[in-house]
Amino acid sequence: MRRLLHLLNGPHDLGRGPVFWSGMALLGAAFLAYPTVASSFGATNTAYYLLNIPMALGLSLLWGYGGVLSFGQVAFYGIAGYTYGIVAGNLTDVAWGTPVAALVALLMAGLSAAAFGYFVFYGRVAAWIVPILTLVLALLLSTFLGLTAGYQWRVGTVQLGGYNGMTGIPSLQIGGISFQDYAFFYLVVAVVAFCYVALRIWLNAHRGQVLMATREDMLRTELLGYDVRLEQLRAFVLASLLAGVSGLLYVQWGNYITPSAMGLQQAALPVIWVAVGGRDSLLAAAIATFLLNQLTYVLSSSGNQSALVIVGGLLVAVMMFSPDGIIVGLARGRWLSTLRGWRGTARPREATNGQ
Amino acid sequence: MVSDAADTILRAEGLSKRFGGVIAADGIHFRLQRGEMRCVVGPNGAGKSTFFALLCGILRPDSGRVFLKGKDVTDLPAFQRVRMGIGLTFQTNRAFHALTVAENLETARRASAGGAGDDAHFRAAYAAFELAACSNLPARELPHHQLQWLEICMALRRGPDALLLDEPTAGMSPGETMFTADVLKTLSRDGLALIVVEHDVAFVRKVAETLTVLHQGAVFAEGPVESVTAREDVREIYLGRVREAAG
Repeated sequence: MRRLLHLLNGPHDLGRGPVFWSGMALLGAAFLAYPTVASSFGATNTAYYLLNIPMALGLSLLWGYGGVLSFGQVAFYGIAGYTYGIVAGNLTDVAWGTPVAALVALLMAGLSAAAFGYFVFYGRVAAWIVPILTLVLALLLSTFLGLTAGYQWRVGTVQLGGYNGMTGIPSLQIGGISFQDYAFFYLVVAVVAFCYVALRIWLNAHRGQVLMATREDMLRTELLGYDVRLEQLRAFVLASLLAGVSGLLYVQWGNYITPSAMGLQQAALPVIWVAVGGRDSLLAAAIATFLLNQLTYVLSSSGNQSALVIVGGLLVAVMMFSPDGIIVGLARGRWLSTLRGWRGTARPREATNGQ
Repeated sequence: MVSDAADTILRAEGLSKRFGGVIAADGIHFRLQRGEMRCVVGPNGAGKSTFFALLCGILRPDSGRVFLKGKDVTDLPAFQRVRMGIGLTFQTNRAFHALTVAENLETARRASAGGAGDDAHFRAAYAAFELAACSNLPARELPHHQLQWLEICMALRRGPDALLLDEPTAGMSPGETMFTADVLKTLSRDGLALIVVEHDVAFVRKVAETLTVLHQGAVFAEGPVESVTAREDVREIYLGRVREAAG
């Protein structure tokens, strides 16, 4: 237990020490208290802003800490969502149908990531090709599911539904609790908190350090006795499982899923969230995901058609002024100096250390 | 040199490797005993780095075999050879610069604590190089010679039987070079087998008993340091050029 706490407070994320963790505890308490002041509609919306955080944490792990960019994490989001819909829809008469469906969904996301990742990493595919391959996977799935309109495309009693997607997906039900409204909100908060804490411990433990070593220098790491292909595959499967968690929560939220959940726009979004926050910090990725989802949702639900343009513009601005990400840049105090250097009012920008 | 086969740590038989028209290794035969300290010299392009890469598994040979402690490891990838008892440093500094000294060594440690690997050599080197004093510094802030020492300690962390060092004293002052030579010498007396690629003749004379001269991908001469360095043809291909370059 002491060892776990020590790892949790480890150096490989922003924020350490008693002040930081008191702040995090306060934040957690605020989320737990939130339903007492919020309507069920408000709580469900907030849950929506939170539910993509596991996928973003996974991408931060894979890209920021592991140095492998995946442009297709939504593929595993979609696989988990569709699998849950199919299994839960066929087991509506079974008492434990929905929890079983959730487990099968995560298993499918993990297994398909393991199979796909095996060929990518054990084939020693060059690093810059990985984002293209993963994007193609997502687009293939999206295109294929778009073709599944019609009664002949069904699994058991569940229709895949083509471009209109799968509707009427049952909500998760464990014992007497159906995870809707406030219960759904608490479920999302608990899952997000668990993912963050577990991932931070994992990263600060030996495995995480080895993953960061592969990012720094693959050959050096291999010659310390590590199978770097296995280390990368492990990170990829973990990240894809987390994308699956988000996909699972997403179908709880709206009880539907369409092929566009794996389309080009959706595939780009996790990369934007993580890059804007700062890819080599779990915390920054989580905060940016929450805020940008809120921004997009508020903009588009008020009838603004340009939400994606604004988010894309934000990415461009961040890459110009704070390439480490806004939150990571602010936390490390590089943001203002970069801005001053860009204006030319201060000393010229220093070369970034060692990178 | 007659010796018990059980004392042979690393053996190469007829290692050959070509890159297009260039023959980088041409039927190299090689044998390293427990506790031996071998220096490998040769002019630029003689195939020293290729030889190391073939021994530790970064490259696969076109023909020939590599044996580690009597086992044929020719078809094993590098990380498995490392797990079986090879340690290696590169010609360039390749510690993880963003990580601290302690984290670098922690990364080099095997994941499962305990196990068969003996870390006595690591502890001896770690103490001799006094790295404990800078264990919380990021590796990029270390002076050059300490960074080289850190890399030697990282290669020793898993408790290898054979340590392959590619120019470990490049860029060091004469004093640091001699100190490094002393520490390596002590390690080999304690049973570690070492192969060192080195250009510094003073270093070679200080540490090695046996010297291997590579030339055009093949073993050109091998034997006691004094007699090999005295050979006229060796001086011509290697030592002569060093003297010219120095003079």
